[in-house]
Amino acid sequence: MIPPISAIGALPVPQVAAPAAATATPGVDFGGLVSNSLQQLQDLQSTSDNLAVKAATGDLTDIHDYMIASNEASVATSLTVAVRNKAVDAFNEIMRMQM
Amino acid sequence: MGMFDAINNAGSGLVVYRKWLDAVSDNVSNINDVSPTSGPAFQARYVVAQAQDYGNAGGAKVGGIELGSAEGRLVYQPDNPLADKDGNVRVPDIDLADQMGQLIIAQRAYQANLSVVQRAQDAYQAALGLGK
Repeated sequence: MIPPISAIGALPVPQVAAPAAATATPGVDFGGLVSNSLQQLQDLQSTSDNLAVKAATGDLTDIHDYMIASNEASVATSLTVAVRNKAVDAFNEIMRMQM
Repeated sequence: MGMFDAINNAGSGLVVYRKWLDAVSDNVSNINDVSPTSGPAFQARYVVAQAQDYGNAGGAKVGGIELGSAEGRLVYQPDNPLADKDGNVRVPDIDLADQMGQLIIAQRAYQANLSVVQRAQDAYQAALGLGK
């Protein structure tokens, strides 16, 4: 038996979350994330710079220390730039959205 | 750190094997030392590699330096100005072949740690290329 078609009930209205609730949720916000990773990048760069000075003055005991520090700084810089590019791309995508 | 643990651990290994190379170099350079029988002979240095932070961040360290025999070997060299009244001098008890073996161990282990640094960096660079 085919059941009869029932009448359409009231459509559920999409609930829009209150903006206040969204900003009040605790957690890592994007700005804090960026500033933290920038601080880490800064630390890596200064370690690398200190070792470069040591290499120039002849105080460097381990050659690989400088190479590792500069490589770490380079990878971290690439990572930060990649994150920044992604964020800017996402922002531009939103700005291009048709209203 | 966290992000660069693989590289930092390999870096600590590089320090250990750099010191190991230093020890071998010291031993080989002093292999023909002569001392009077009244004093100690040159003592070979042996590096003891140990875990730095087992179970946590990891890495290796030089746990200590073991010294070889101070007694050395007594060699009859009556012409030597340091010889005692019996004509004996003390020379270090270091085996050159053994030192060469140690040299190869240290060199290969240094290279292995360098490859770890290289591979880890290649992996991170490849991860940065995701989605390009």
